[in-house]
Amino acid sequence: MTNNDVQLMTAAADTIAINRNELAERLHTDRNFDSPLLQKCQDRLLRTADYRCVYIRTPVDLQQENVCDFGFMTIPSRHLYRNLTGCQEAFVMAVTAGMAVDRLLLRLNVISQAEHFMTDALASAAIESFCNAVSEKLKVGLDCAPRFSPGYGDVSITFQQPLLQRLNAYELLGITLNTAYLMTPVKSITAIMGIRCNHLS
Amino acid sequence: MKSIVDLIKEKRVYFDGGTGTVLQGMGLPAGQSPERWNIEQPEKIIALHKAYLDAGCNIIKTNTFGLNREKFPDYQALIRAGIACAKEAVKGREEAYIAYDMGPTGRLLEPLGDLPFEEAVSIFADNVRTAAECGADLVLIETMNDSYETKAAVLAVRENSDLPVFVTNVYDAGGKLMTGADPAAMVALLESLGVDALGMNCSLGPDKMLSIMDTFRQYASVPVIVNPNAGLPEVRDGQTVYTIDEEEFSDYMVQLAEKGASVLGGCCGTTPAFIEKTIAKTRNLPYACPEEKPFTLVSSYTHAVVIDKDPVLIGERINPTGKPKLKEALRSGDLNYVLNEAIRQTEAGAHILDVNAGLPEIDETEMMLRCVTAIQSVTDAPLQIDSTKPETLAAAMRVYNGKPLVNSVNGTEESMNAVLPIVQKYGGGLIALTIDENGIPDTAAERAEIAEKIIERAAQYGIKKKDIIVDPLALTISSNPESAVITLESVRLIRQLGVKTSLGISNISFGLPQRELITSTFYANALHNGLNCAIMNPFSKAMMNTYYTFRALNGLDTGCVDYINYASAQSNTPERSSAPAAEGSLHSSIVKGLKDEAVQYARSLLAELPPLEVINGHIVPALNEIGAAFEQKKAYLPQLLMSAEAASASFEEVKKLIPADKADSSKAIVLATVKGDIHDIGKNIVKVLMESYGFTVYDLGRDVPPEMVLQCALEHECKLVGLSALMTTTVPAMAETIELLHRTDPTICTMVGGAVLNQEYADMIGADFYGADAMDSVRFAERFYHSAAE
Repeated sequence: MTNNDVQLMTAAADTIAINRNELAERLHTDRNFDSPLLQKCQDRLLRTADYRCVYIRTPVDLQQENVCDFGFMTIPSRHLYRNLTGCQEAFVMAVTAGMAVDRLLLRLNVISQAEHFMTDALASAAIESFCNAVSEKLKVGLDCAPRFSPGYGDVSITFQQPLLQRLNAYELLGITLNTAYLMTPVKSITAIMGIRCNHLS
Repeated sequence: MKSIVDLIKEKRVYFDGGTGTVLQGMGLPAGQSPERWNIEQPEKIIALHKAYLDAGCNIIKTNTFGLNREKFPDYQALIRAGIACAKEAVKGREEAYIAYDMGPTGRLLEPLGDLPFEEAVSIFADNVRTAAECGADLVLIETMNDSYETKAAVLAVRENSDLPVFVTNVYDAGGKLMTGADPAAMVALLESLGVDALGMNCSLGPDKMLSIMDTFRQYASVPVIVNPNAGLPEVRDGQTVYTIDEEEFSDYMVQLAEKGASVLGGCCGTTPAFIEKTIAKTRNLPYACPEEKPFTLVSSYTHAVVIDKDPVLIGERINPTGKPKLKEALRSGDLNYVLNEAIRQTEAGAHILDVNAGLPEIDETEMMLRCVTAIQSVTDAPLQIDSTKPETLAAAMRVYNGKPLVNSVNGTEESMNAVLPIVQKYGGGLIALTIDENGIPDTAAERAEIAEKIIERAAQYGIKKKDIIVDPLALTISSNPESAVITLESVRLIRQLGVKTSLGISNISFGLPQRELITSTFYANALHNGLNCAIMNPFSKAMMNTYYTFRALNGLDTGCVDYINYASAQSNTPERSSAPAAEGSLHSSIVKGLKDEAVQYARSLLAELPPLEVINGHIVPALNEIGAAFEQKKAYLPQLLMSAEAASASFEEVKKLIPADKADSSKAIVLATVKGDIHDIGKNIVKVLMESYGFTVYDLGRDVPPEMVLQCALEHECKLVGLSALMTTTVPAMAETIELLHRTDPTICTMVGGAVLNQEYADMIGADFYGADAMDSVRFAERFYHSAAE
């Protein structure tokens, strides 16, 4: 592990507040939908998951138009460049729900498609919530750009690799990439969040 | 110079400390690969090594952690340069060893990831061959997060060099690897593969490693290595600092040494000063190399099972002998059935699962590999690999993630010559049957003699007595009334040889009515005679009763906690024959998605009505009702799925009453998520609904090549194929599959669905039907077979 400046954050499962709108969208229901089985799936998921985040605060150089230079990686992108306008620094982060959730999903895939479908939706909504909570915490006292992930817009998903490597995400979160640059554990998110200068609130 | 393995027998030895930490201090920018400096700035690497050697360490780690063919095209040159730097540094020094340092590939192995096990072995093997050529003294496999990748790395070293192999894994504060293994599981796995020392590094400071060290001390028979971080990194005033300084670090290292650690060093955040202090404080502490531990361990990728006084249950249900449904599942490659049996057995209380895939008409080795890999993706119970074919045992033991039980060797020359070398190589608990060229002896003494012969022969292969579990064979009392008595006496005699025992319990009652009565009483007797393992049916209530009562009566269940939990669960479970509540119905429980209730109603209806009437008069109308509600947006997808599962479970009850040859297999569909796409939720939803409507579904899974879809359709003469894709990038693969199907057989009908598709896309790629949702697909499939019938 070569990068000593990476910060680690964890969250107890009971602090994860799943956003009901987000969940309803993934379940294809309205936001009031509930069932004992959904509750059972939620309890089991939160018992299983291990929410962790790693992040760094790093300078970003935007001198060349449509090129975002983070020092450890240079991303040519119109979309990210626009997103980072006015920023000289950024948070670069990765969050995950851990490998046990992948195993749970594999198991439910065999036992019950209903539970698998619900748990998958819950897990997606929960990791979004965790990522939001982390972002909110980092933002305190700062003016930040909206989160941006490799794979959005014109940013190639291949930037997952230098990003994860810089964050020691393998050692600290157990995140690996497959040949299509998709992450395992599957409920993981990487993101860049620009910090706008001269906007200290 | 003495081998490092011999040196550790005599005294405590010391690793160096952090590499990245020191190199960053020398100007290595964050995010840059330190290995490049082996060629670009070798003098700095040599200086790093020398600083640690001057601090007094015995083993230096080469600067090669991240190198492999996947990440660095010039990995071999970098490895050579790294070892050359180390050699330069040790020149003229005594007791200074070079550990070729090998880190993880950074990719995750199948089934959770996409790196095939053999490819991982091959990546590591390339590294090891280069390191061995260059003259490293040992290989250190370090910072491993995953037990499976660790196994691949150890095999690569063993198969490509004669170098000693040391292994350290990364444990989290909960004492587990990222993929789940605890220290006992890693000890079981690594010692069975013959590593020379094992332990932990990185992630934690020495303070957090103390409790993990306790487990290592309890189970490990080889020296334990401890290379902690200098605590955790923290940013203070904009600077990254580690929380533990060299004074505190070395104080903890004293405690770790006193707990029995044989090899001490450091990882991230540690510097030569940390190592120097550690050596100064621990050099004169008394030292003893760990003694051989007595435990019989088998393991999975999460935990070890100790075979000792507390009885171990080995689930027998994944063995096709006498099980027509499993035979059919294996023949048709329906792993879902196998996986369900695996999960249900562990839920019923089995500690270990026997896996036997032997059927004359299938390729046993291939099926065994598929079963072992798939079962390990859904349950963490250790497995007992069961085959009469040595090549099947070897192949399965190689890919098994953990230390398996191996069933079996026997006392014939042929069996011992074939099986013992495999166990020597891959490690495992070995079931030894007391049978030889003359068959099964009639007396206990003769059976014990065969056991002794196997133990002696196994010792010649380095297989320890503690890893042998003798099965003196239970034969049915219906053909020999003395059989049970002889077997029980054999258990007693064989125990005296100092090995553990196992029995296939159910055999005792073969050919008799109400077999459970005999089997469970025999099991109780066997337990009283000291039996350790029983291969048994965990769904048998009588057997589980015996198991729990025996433990409670023999001081193995503190406070009778397990017994009380078991007994209360029993009193809450309705008997199979009990009638369901009067106010509901099969129809309403399917509509509400209540699976257990639906099954109860189906059973009571089936007592009165012919099977077809239950399907057509109750199950299908209920499904149609919920299906219509879904289409009218009055019910949601989760409800539809719950109803479909309730209907499928009821349908299974009906199927039990329809003879296999009369089952309606005319409605069938091949389902697959196309090549390159790993999303299968949509396809699985369609599958559940199709099954609930009585379709036979040939589910090929995800990432399926076009040829495999075609082959399945042709093999089963199935004219309906459903394809799913979630990513735009995989729609071309869908088009390719449709084209191949239509070109080969224009009468094959293709239906497609998935998030990225719409009618226009479907038309463009030549699909016969586009299903907007799962219900839509079922309606089409019904129409397809309806019009075909007309």
